[in-house]
Amino acid sequence: MSVSDSATERFTPRQKMALSVLACTATALAAAPLSGLLDLANIVMLFLLTVLLVAVSLGRNPAVAAAVVSVLLFDVFFVPPRFSLAVSNLQYLITFAVMLATALIVGHLAASLKEQLRAAERREQRTRALYEIAGKLGGALNLVQVGEIVQQFVAGELAAECYLGIDEAAAAPPPWFDEALARQARDSRRSVADPAGRDALYLPLLAPMRGRGILAVHFPGARRALAAQNQSLLEALASLAAIAVERLHYVEVAQSSELKMATERLRSSILSALSHDLRTPLTVLVGLADSLFLVRPGLPPPALDIAGSLRDQAARLAGLVTNLLDMARLHAGSVSLRREWQPVEEVIGSSLKLLGSALGRHRIRVDLPPDLPLLRFDAVLIERVLCNLLENAAKYSPDGGEIAIVVRPAGSMVEIAVCDRGPGLGDVAGQQLFEMFVRGQPESDQPGTGLGLAICHAIVEAHAGAMRVDDRPDGGACVIFALPQGVPPVLESELP
Amino acid sequence: MSAPLPTVLLIEDEPQIRRFVRIALEAEGCAVLEAGNIGDGLAAAGREAPDLVILDLGLPDGNGIDFIRALRGWSGLPILILSARAAEDDKIDALDAGADDYLTKPFGVGELRARLRALLRRHERPATPASPLLEFGDIAIDLAQRQVSRAGQAVHLTPIEYRLLAMLASHPGQVLTQRKLLCEIWGPTYVESSHYLRVYVGHLRQKLEADPTQPCHLLTETGVGYRFQP
Repeated sequence: MSVSDSATERFTPRQKMALSVLACTATALAAAPLSGLLDLANIVMLFLLTVLLVAVSLGRNPAVAAAVVSVLLFDVFFVPPRFSLAVSNLQYLITFAVMLATALIVGHLAASLKEQLRAAERREQRTRALYEIAGKLGGALNLVQVGEIVQQFVAGELAAECYLGIDEAAAAPPPWFDEALARQARDSRRSVADPAGRDALYLPLLAPMRGRGILAVHFPGARRALAAQNQSLLEALASLAAIAVERLHYVEVAQSSELKMATERLRSSILSALSHDLRTPLTVLVGLADSLFLVRPGLPPPALDIAGSLRDQAARLAGLVTNLLDMARLHAGSVSLRREWQPVEEVIGSSLKLLGSALGRHRIRVDLPPDLPLLRFDAVLIERVLCNLLENAAKYSPDGGEIAIVVRPAGSMVEIAVCDRGPGLGDVAGQQLFEMFVRGQPESDQPGTGLGLAICHAIVEAHAGAMRVDDRPDGGACVIFALPQGVPPVLESELP
Repeated sequence: MSAPLPTVLLIEDEPQIRRFVRIALEAEGCAVLEAGNIGDGLAAAGREAPDLVILDLGLPDGNGIDFIRALRGWSGLPILILSARAAEDDKIDALDAGADDYLTKPFGVGELRARLRALLRRHERPATPASPLLEFGDIAIDLAQRQVSRAGQAVHLTPIEYRLLAMLASHPGQVLTQRKLLCEIWGPTYVESSHYLRVYVGHLRQKLEADPTQPCHLLTETGVGYRFQP
C-alpha cells in the first residue's frame, strides 16, 4: 500500500475498537432522554446509523463491534425491563436478531464500499505514477538517467530503495543485493522474492528483443509486506525500464552504424581522390614520354632509348600505384564484388590478352577440361588475380619456359593453377607468402614489392575461395586458387 | 586521309594530358580543338562541328556522361572516353549513354592513335555496308543469306548465335556493353542474366575462333562488354 494510505489510518485497531464502543455509548446516552418520546423502532434506527457511520469511518471490525455493542446497549437501556439483559416480551428477541443482522450487513457493505473506493484511488494513483514514469523514461537520454528515474519512483511511491543492474552499464550493487537470486530471476524470466527474509524483490528487465538486466527493490524494516502487495506495480515498472534501456541501446546502435557509414564514405572518397591525384601525373608521364617519339625533327636514338625507359618505368609505377590502391580498397572493405555467372575460360582469355607482349617470351599452355560449370565471380578482380599470377610466373621463368594455366574441379570448388618453370618458392612457401610485403626470395634480383600475391589472396578470400602454393616436383612453382562452384542459373535452351 | 583535316575536340581539364594528346593527334594529321570543361566543350562542339570528341569523364563542372547525353541529343559524332581504371560503372554508363569507345588511364600514345584511326575510319564509311558480305580472317558472314562460313565450310549457328554474331560484326572495333547486347538479342527482361551472353559468346568462339581461349575476333572487355575485332 502506498504511503498516503497509511496517513488516513491514524488509529491502531485497538483504538478503533474503543472509538466504536464510545460512539455506541454516546448514541445510547443521547437517545436515553428521548426514550419516552421516541418509539423503540426509531431508537434502533439511531443505533443502525451509528453502526453505518462507524463502518464508513473506521472499517469492518469496528463496525462488527459496534453492531454487537449497539444490540447490547439497546437491550440494557431501552428494552423493558430496563437496566437488565432480560427481556419482558420475547418478540424483542426478533428485534435484536434483525437489528444485529441489519447492523452487520450495513457495516459490512459500508466498509466494503470504503475499501473499494480506496483501492480505486490507489489504482488511479499508481496508474498516474506509471504514466508519469513512462513519460520520464521516454525522455531519458542515457542509462544513468534511467537509473535515477527508477530510483526516484521507487523511493517516492513505495518508500523503498532499489538497484537497477543493466547489462551494459552495471553500477556496484548495494550490500543487500543477492547475485544468485538476480541470476535466478533473469534465467527464469520471472520475479523472485528473497526467501531468506532480506525483504527484496528481484525483477528481470524483459524488453521485446531480450532480457536487459535486473531490477531489485528492497523494502527496509517493517515495510517488507509491501513487496508482495506491489509486485504487479513493480513488474510494470521493470518492463517500462527494460523498454527504455532497449530504446537507448538501439539509439546507440543506430548512431554507431551511422558513424561507421560516414567513416567508410570518407575513406573511400579519400581513396578515390588519392587514386585520381596519383594517376593523373602518371598518365601525363607515360603520355609525354611516349610522345617524345613523335616530336619533329626526331630525337637522336639514345634520347629515344631513354624516352622508352622513362615510359616503361612510369607504366610500372602506375601498376604499382594501382596495386597499392587496390590493396587499400580491399583492406578498407570498400570493394563491392560484382559477381556474375560466367565461364572461367573467358577471364583466362582476357587476362592473356591484357598482358599481351609481356608474356611474349614464354610459351603459354591452357589446360581446360570440357564441361566446366559456370562460376560466380567478379571478372575484373579475378582478371587481376590471373594477371598478377601470370606476371609473377613470367618474371621468374627463364625465357622460352612454359607457363601453364590448369583448371580442375576439386570437390565443391574449381581450382585454377598458374605454374611456371622458375626456381620454385623454396622454404618461404605457405600462407606467409600471401601477407603484404613478403617475397619468396627476399634477395632476388627481380624487382617487386610482395604486394601482388597479397592482393590476389584478398580478392580470392572475398570470393569465399582459397589460395595455396606448391613447388612442382619437376621444377618450378604453382600458385593455385580455388573458387566455390555453387549452383549456376538455368540456361533455357534454344530451339535449334 | 581525305583532303580536309579531320578535327578532333579534346575535352580534358588537365593541361599536361591535353598537351601530349594534342601531340599524338597532330602526328595523326588531325586539327585539335581544346576545352577544359563541359560548358566550353558543348559550345565548341556546336560551333566548330568536329569529326570526333575525346572526353575525360571527370571534369570540373560535371560528369562527362552529361556531356554525352547533351551531345547525343543532336549529333552522332564519335566519342572516345578517357577514364580511370577503377571506374567500370562510369565506363558502362558512358557507353550506354552513347560513347563509342574508351581508353583507360594511363594509356600509351600508340593505343590512342589506333583507337582514333578506327573511330575516324568507321565514321567516314556510310552507316550501312554497301555489301551484305562481311569478311574477317577466314570467316565470312553473308547478312543477306544469313549464312556463316569458315574457310569455305558452312558453319551452323543457332538463330541467337547468328543474331549475336551479326550484331557484333556490324559494329567492328566498337565496344558493345553487356546491357546493350542482352537487351537487343534476348530482350529487356534478360538484362540481369549476363550468363546467357557469356555462354553464347563462348559457343561462337568454339565455332569460329582458332583458339577459343585466346580469341582474336570476339574480344572480351572485362567488366564492360564485348568488342568485335575484324
